[in-house]
Amino acid sequence: MKISLNWIKDYITLPQDITLSKLAYDLTMSTVEVEEIHDLSLQFEDMAVGVVREVLPHPDADKLVVCTVDVGDRDGGGTDACDAGEAILRQIVCGGINVAEGMKVAVARPGSKVRWHGEGDLVELKKVKVRGVESYGMICSSSEIGLFDLFPYTDEATIMDISEFEANAGTPLAKALGLDDIILEIDNKSLTNRPDLWGHYGIAREISAIYGLELKEISPYDARAKTDLIPKSNREAFQITIADPELCPRYIGIRIEGISINPAPFHIQSRIWRVGMRPINAIVDITNYVMLATGQPTHAFDADIVSGNINIRRAKDKEDLLLLDKTKLSLTPDDLVIADEKEAIALAGVMGGEKDSILQSTKNVILEVANFNALSVRRTSMRFDVRTGAATRFEKGIDPERADIALSVAMDMFSAFFPNMEVTGYHDNYPNKLQQKEIFVSHSWLEKRLGMKMSRDYITRLLERLGFEVSFDLNVPDCANAAAADPGGDLMRVLTPTWRSTGDVGIPDDIVEEVARIHGLENFEPAPIVTAFSRAINQPEIEIDRKIREYLAFRCGMNEIYSYPWVADEYISAVFGSEALISGADMLKMSSPPAPNERFLRSSLLPGLCKAVSDNLRFIGEFAIFESAQVFFDRDYSSVYDKRESLPLQRRHVAGAFVAERDKYGDVFRRAKGAIEAMSRNIHIEPIILRQCDSSAKPFWADDTIWQTITTSDPASNPTNNAVKDGGDLAADNANISGGSAIGMLGLLSQKAAQGCGIKNAAVLLFELDIDALSPLLSRTNTFSHIPEYPMTEYDVSLLFDSSVKWEDIHNTACANRSSHMGKSAPQGSGQGSNLRGVSFVEEYKGKQIPDGKKSVTIRLLIGSPKKTLTSEEIESQAGATVKRLCKALGGELRA
Amino acid sequence: MKEKLEQIFADGQARIENALSASALADVKAYLLGKQGAITEALKEIPKLDASLRAEIGRAANDLKNKFTELIDAKREEISLKAAEIPSDFDLTIPGAPPVSGALHPITQMCYDLNDTFRSMGFEIFEESDITSELYAFDNLNFPPDHPARESMDTYWIAGHEHGRGGERLCLRPHLTGASVRYMQTRKPPYRFVYPGRAYRNEATDARHERAFFQYEALIVDRDFTFSSGKVMIKSILSKIFGRDVPVRMRIGFFPFVEPGFEIDMGCLVCGGAGCSVCKHVGWIEIMPGGTPHPNVLRAAGLDPDEYTGFYVNIGLDRLTMMRCEIDDVRLFRGGDLRFLRQFC
Repeated sequence: MKISLNWIKDYITLPQDITLSKLAYDLTMSTVEVEEIHDLSLQFEDMAVGVVREVLPHPDADKLVVCTVDVGDRDGGGTDACDAGEAILRQIVCGGINVAEGMKVAVARPGSKVRWHGEGDLVELKKVKVRGVESYGMICSSSEIGLFDLFPYTDEATIMDISEFEANAGTPLAKALGLDDIILEIDNKSLTNRPDLWGHYGIAREISAIYGLELKEISPYDARAKTDLIPKSNREAFQITIADPELCPRYIGIRIEGISINPAPFHIQSRIWRVGMRPINAIVDITNYVMLATGQPTHAFDADIVSGNINIRRAKDKEDLLLLDKTKLSLTPDDLVIADEKEAIALAGVMGGEKDSILQSTKNVILEVANFNALSVRRTSMRFDVRTGAATRFEKGIDPERADIALSVAMDMFSAFFPNMEVTGYHDNYPNKLQQKEIFVSHSWLEKRLGMKMSRDYITRLLERLGFEVSFDLNVPDCANAAAADPGGDLMRVLTPTWRSTGDVGIPDDIVEEVARIHGLENFEPAPIVTAFSRAINQPEIEIDRKIREYLAFRCGMNEIYSYPWVADEYISAVFGSEALISGADMLKMSSPPAPNERFLRSSLLPGLCKAVSDNLRFIGEFAIFESAQVFFDRDYSSVYDKRESLPLQRRHVAGAFVAERDKYGDVFRRAKGAIEAMSRNIHIEPIILRQCDSSAKPFWADDTIWQTITTSDPASNPTNNAVKDGGDLAADNANISGGSAIGMLGLLSQKAAQGCGIKNAAVLLFELDIDALSPLLSRTNTFSHIPEYPMTEYDVSLLFDSSVKWEDIHNTACANRSSHMGKSAPQGSGQGSNLRGVSFVEEYKGKQIPDGKKSVTIRLLIGSPKKTLTSEEIESQAGATVKRLCKALGGELRA
Repeated sequence: MKEKLEQIFADGQARIENALSASALADVKAYLLGKQGAITEALKEIPKLDASLRAEIGRAANDLKNKFTELIDAKREEISLKAAEIPSDFDLTIPGAPPVSGALHPITQMCYDLNDTFRSMGFEIFEESDITSELYAFDNLNFPPDHPARESMDTYWIAGHEHGRGGERLCLRPHLTGASVRYMQTRKPPYRFVYPGRAYRNEATDARHERAFFQYEALIVDRDFTFSSGKVMIKSILSKIFGRDVPVRMRIGFFPFVEPGFEIDMGCLVCGGAGCSVCKHVGWIEIMPGGTPHPNVLRAAGLDPDEYTGFYVNIGLDRLTMMRCEIDDVRLFRGGDLRFLRQFC
């Protein structure tokens, strides 16, 4: 909203010491956000009133004339025409068809900025020759200096004639035209809760409160004095009926005869133009002016077109209404209309109708100053997408009392513009008078909330500036109850002004805000935050998500991504099959999605991840990414917070992708598997294990061979986390014990799914896991093992196996007589006598030198004794025994 | 004979000196001390000498042998040290081998920085699910029944659940504030907690607007707490996040769930408050709303608003991260583009 500082000055006198920037700052701090301060006169810099002394034909151009113009320059150097010096006349070439000797014109001097023919960018004028004749700037047309709305013309070659303005040659143009104004641009969003501020008077009231200035009163329209003059018969003939007082709390209609459709006086046109509206004619300009001044929208009908009395009613179903802007509406009973005896003539509070609008021929008008229900206006305005200044104001909740001052401002203008007019009808139908809000506030409570002491007098003064009525020492009869409850006299009674009583202010906390903001928010001392310590913060279930993310990023070298919770159909279909799209597969849908193909909310992070993989593959060949976010399921509705609530199942998931060239599927598998396997140790959760169960568990997207289910291990059969105890690669032991429930999947994206995601020639190894299914350990559980007293030897050996032999079997066979504990307890069971301490994988090799159908596996044996240093014969003997067992059990042979 | 020994010494010394490799030195050693070596040959001469000279020459020859052994050992040491020496043309400018290069998302980084800061002030962290109900997104937060946000298309309502009321009407949460009531309902006051998360709004995206964005809210509720303390809290947090003193101002603003409500601005870090294009020439940048919880919100949480009060702040993490990392397009955050994300390793 634009606010004119000159207009504000109608209502208050600003002290000299308040600079513009301070005013804007203080308004921003206490009331509304001033986004910009705009000095209008800058637009007219180096432009002045010129008086044309002589007009001669241009020697070389038919359509141009050469003018001699007094622009106030005097040889004393001044530019003031009153200066004693001799006038320096300027020669200006002009194309205006209306230019004449003696005419006052707008001269743009060299250095000023104009818009050629009213189009394009601003151009700086220079002293130039026009067809051989020197020209000192230009004589402007209104569109060249942005004033077309105030000085309209029909022929483009018309220059601005400002002869009617009382100004001497040389007067700066902005001053001469009264355009030397400051415009404050206010952020409308900061006004939404303040219906009282949608006009200049409201803003002036705030400024007066902030600085303690006097606010000029606008006295209400004295209806009695005026209506007594109306003949009784007319009075009775002019009736407003309100069919639905709920939607129309007040309607004042006033019939005015004997007006004519002329332009409004220039200073009125100029005012509404300065704050962004286009002048139309005196009647329309009055209605706009009143709204901009008081925030109260008004409307004028052509009284001769209205048939019979006015009725404010709900529209009939499918009732037609042609609006002023020629929009044709088919109304509903939820829309409120102004109707005459025949039909609807205006959409209440939104826009007038075409039929009864003000035309050039209008002689008599009915002026409407009314109040409409905020919600009803907003719904109607939204329903038909008709946004107007009136609707914007009504939907904030204007108080019906404001109609009085609005009518007063309007009638002052009518009588000033049309001295011969006559009021021939007046009816103020106000069925439900607005009740001012009464609030009781404890003084001590107020001080506590403010964090400072404040005297009764001071509080009263601050609030009274805003129009509140404040009383202490409550013993008046109507406050008896309040006084009884407050024997100490701590309570104060605050009566809210009508313009703040439509929902804006109503509880003691609102009074805290009013006092605080007028006292000045920066006048409160910073107060320290006091705390009492009761316990340390311990939130493992919250921390686990962070631990996982940090583990994946910092230990596993993955990049975290964010994606949207809605997923494009093509990725859902690629990852989960087109069946999923059709059945919905437990997925929730949005009622108005961002795009038609993004209806579904994710129940898995994988489709989004695949999209990111596909996008990144255009630039990068090898990478690893992950995302941690919530997923949603259309089932298991419940709420632990409120029994009235029913929320769908929502789980925290984490998913990742390791991406490399297609033939590196083995590598990405091992990286992903390693990341999952080592996760439990790194983030302190109960162990999780990977295994391939029956093929029905294979997810749609996974390759037929490379996929595994991630499950929780059964804690009962897995005491004290010994899987990782002695540093060996023994986690695979757990594959033998029965696992817990599935909490995720790991697998290679199948060729087909990859194709559906637009991924070519890449190995994409995906995993996804349910964070909420992980159980964080309460503390670290990895306890200390003694460092071996005698040396341990790593002994590498390569063996040739059938390529169908699994590592797990090799490992288990090799470990069959492993001694599982070092130092702490004596070797036991099958471990007796064995010096094998661990077996780990080094590499697997196929290719040159290896026969088809075979593979070479290099394993590392950890050999040592807790009792002594082994001799090389003893080491060789242990290794030989293990190799022999592997060869015998699995058909391996030692490679040379 | 003596002269001969001296000559052998001089010759041997030169040979040792000139041996540049371990193998050359071995040859020299064999030549001097081997079975057919110079010394051995010389010793063979001794029996032919006059008896009176034998002892002296014998001693001298032995001395010579020992000297050569010493010299050769020293030379061997020198050669082996030299072999292990780093070539002087080693290039110190070759790049370091990078460590594992994963990274958290820049917004996650900001979120964790805030978590750490708030934790240091005794705040708990709370998480609410992304899908919530009208009951928590609006009803509990003092949004009037006819508030535009409820009816408008600004909110992503869930299909099949968009027509109900309250707890049955579901949406992707339009803000985080509803989570505060969930926290309060399930714990005993006083409260001091933060609740980061995603929020969603149905609007067109551009360089400054997102449909899915990250918010971070904090709430303190206690018997005595004034907005002046709220300002202190905000100032401490921002100064920690940006690593320098950040000016903060609170100006009046309206939000249904607070009373009084504030818009909170921080001094523009680009121009230092002098005014620039980033701050639209006002020297301040709006970063969060905040204020005292509205009595109706405290009531919804089961508290007596006459007894308890507090302070909310709601930080837009996208915006804050953009300011800290000088990012000019908010859409980069959810694009998953590694060329962007790898800059935050």
